[in-house]
Amino acid sequence: MNVHRVAATASKEWREIVRDRLFLALTFLVPTSLMLVVGYGLSLDVEDIPLAIVDRDGTNLSREYAHRFIDSRYFDFKGYALDRHALPLLLADNKVRAAIIIPENFQKELMAGRPIVVQTLIDGTLPSRAQTTKGYVLAMNTAFTSEMLAMFISKKRGIPLGQAARSLRPVKFEARYLYNQSMRSDWALAPRLIMVILMMTPPFYTALGIVREKERGSIYNIYSSTVSRFEFLVGKLIPYVGISSANAVILWLIATQLFGAPFKGSLLFFIPATLLYIICTTGLGLVVSVMVRTQVAAMVVTFIVTVIPSMLYSGVIVPISSLSETAQVTAHALPAMYYTNIIVGAFMKGVGLRELWPDVLVLAIYATVLLTLGYRMFHKRPST
Amino acid sequence: MSDMPSNSCIRAMVVWWNRMRVMTIKEYLQLYRDRILIVFMVYAFTLEVFLAGSGVSMQLHNAALRVHDSDHSFASRELIHRFRPPHFRIDGEVLNHGESIDLLDRGEAMVVLDIPPQFQESLLNGDTTSVQMQIDTSNPVLGFLATSYGSQIVGQYGLEAAMKREGMSLNELATPIINEEHRVWYNANQNDAWFMSVVEMLNVITMFAILLPASAMAREKERGTVEQLMVSPLTTFQMMFPKVLAMTTVILVGTLITIHLILQPFFGVPFRGSLTLFMAVTALYVFTTAGIGMLLATIARNLAQVGMLTALIFIPMVFLSGVWTPPENMPSVLRAVSAIAPLHHYIDASLGIMLKGAGIDILWDSILAIALFAVAIYGLSMGYFRRQLG
Repeated sequence: MNVHRVAATASKEWREIVRDRLFLALTFLVPTSLMLVVGYGLSLDVEDIPLAIVDRDGTNLSREYAHRFIDSRYFDFKGYALDRHALPLLLADNKVRAAIIIPENFQKELMAGRPIVVQTLIDGTLPSRAQTTKGYVLAMNTAFTSEMLAMFISKKRGIPLGQAARSLRPVKFEARYLYNQSMRSDWALAPRLIMVILMMTPPFYTALGIVREKERGSIYNIYSSTVSRFEFLVGKLIPYVGISSANAVILWLIATQLFGAPFKGSLLFFIPATLLYIICTTGLGLVVSVMVRTQVAAMVVTFIVTVIPSMLYSGVIVPISSLSETAQVTAHALPAMYYTNIIVGAFMKGVGLRELWPDVLVLAIYATVLLTLGYRMFHKRPST
Repeated sequence: MSDMPSNSCIRAMVVWWNRMRVMTIKEYLQLYRDRILIVFMVYAFTLEVFLAGSGVSMQLHNAALRVHDSDHSFASRELIHRFRPPHFRIDGEVLNHGESIDLLDRGEAMVVLDIPPQFQESLLNGDTTSVQMQIDTSNPVLGFLATSYGSQIVGQYGLEAAMKREGMSLNELATPIINEEHRVWYNANQNDAWFMSVVEMLNVITMFAILLPASAMAREKERGTVEQLMVSPLTTFQMMFPKVLAMTTVILVGTLITIHLILQPFFGVPFRGSLTLFMAVTALYVFTTAGIGMLLATIARNLAQVGMLTALIFIPMVFLSGVWTPPENMPSVLRAVSAIAPLHHYIDASLGIMLKGAGIDILWDSILAIALFAVAIYGLSMGYFRRQLG
């Protein structure tokens, strides 16, 4: 390997990037704006669920019950519906996502110490939101039920209300939240977005950079020159790894400074691990670029192999433990998941190489395999 | 002599049609010759949708739970056994606090349930005791669900224990409790596969609808063949529209393949509304989104720029389509953007037609929003393109 030839290739590539001003600007603009837009916009919290209530009882107690939902920040009360026949249209038109039907005799039955059935309609088109909605409704009903029970027992036994309420809750439930005490999702999300963005952008730059030469035909200059395959690829990849590393620093700053994500781990561990990940994803771009001949195909293939897996199989939106068995296999076969472990470990848990060495090892194997594969498949004497 | 103008008019129209036809065929040929692209298109419309639909569940499913039981009594065991699948999976016991933190740190446990000593004794004596749950909330949705189920299980257990002590049972008629009866509509079993596979298909459609026409246009610029088009008698419309038309039809064929080969046979996604209406809305949407691609192609000078601009537009569109985050939970600026973005309306309309059986009487506003966007984006990109060439 001749260092001068590598340097020459790298500086040629760098100049080509710098002279395409829009492209250069976009290599920095794309990661930053994705981080900002998605980081601020994507919230996994379920709040303000549009809700309608049908109150067929119209008594003090039913209104008090309805107000539990109306005053809650989890629901966005859209109004009372006159009767249940109005609900299907409201749900079909996405005007409301949930509806509660309070039956007649709600007050009478409860005051007489008898159970009553309250019906809830939930829009199931978005299953995870439906599930969370169900959880909220259940919690509200449980709270209301235990108040009614406490009142009932205190009346029946003649004991004070507080004592009756206490006797109904013999087991207190204490939840301790680890790693993300406030359960805020933007803050949990920002570090993971670094993973998503560094999964998508480096292969994109690399694939475009190499396939551009193929499609324009300028790669024949390389084929006929003294530059070896290895020197060419190394020189070609260096500028893109450099740009991606600069982006990684910017993204890290946005995550910690702007979104206020805590960084509990050590940079001494995190920086090399991130560089390894960037080399890994750049290698992915290399493999894509030797496979395809046109830039359109390069773009489509990189989108397919990066955007969708980094969303679905990396634990950003869907936790790995919730994946089915086949999807777990897919998740384990992609580098995104391992870097997510590193990110979560370094940001939230403050753990380092001692705990995360298996993930680092997998990334290293990945990078080696991808780069070797790219090198083996790249020929200076193309068959066609 | 009076029929002469109409004759030349007909001739002009024939010429117009021929030009459109030839240009469209050229696009089909160019696409067809990029074999790897075709392979990946087929992959995206079939296997990709299948993988997304079969693999992903957004529910708390078999969360790994460890127990730290300091009581080892009948009561503690009864409580532990209420944490069961599908939500929780008991992975065994831990002996001390340090071990549980270690397991949580390494991600091998998601929840640790901590039962204090003398748990049963306090319950029998009517004293208050407490159960602690340590939850890995690095994923907030899952953390919330685990907390909510955990508190339900413990609350229900406590209530039943108290009622037993009071000599009442929850099944008895004489207690003032609210029995909840919830019905989940449109997707009664909350089958994630329906939702995930449909959304994935819509994402794939969006990606191709932006990228294919944009690169068809930018390629002409990059290779210089746009100069040939400019000196030909083609109008701006005749240069742009065949590309959009060719790519739109290809994408519609892909969509039909996905519906008939993947969505229906594998996942049983119901088609409660009209397939024709869905295809019509899809055609409108693809046409509209292709307009975004065309605008990008007029701004960009080469394909690499088109690629970067597409990434800049496409990825936020997918993340902020309203599927993961409802628009009402977004900051106001982004909410406004997502109200304009056609993908948001398209997803509403598609899920409406498929799962809710909605017709045009309900969906007209979504369709109108997509159409208005189309008018705006084509006006913009054709104007820009003309100025650039002129």
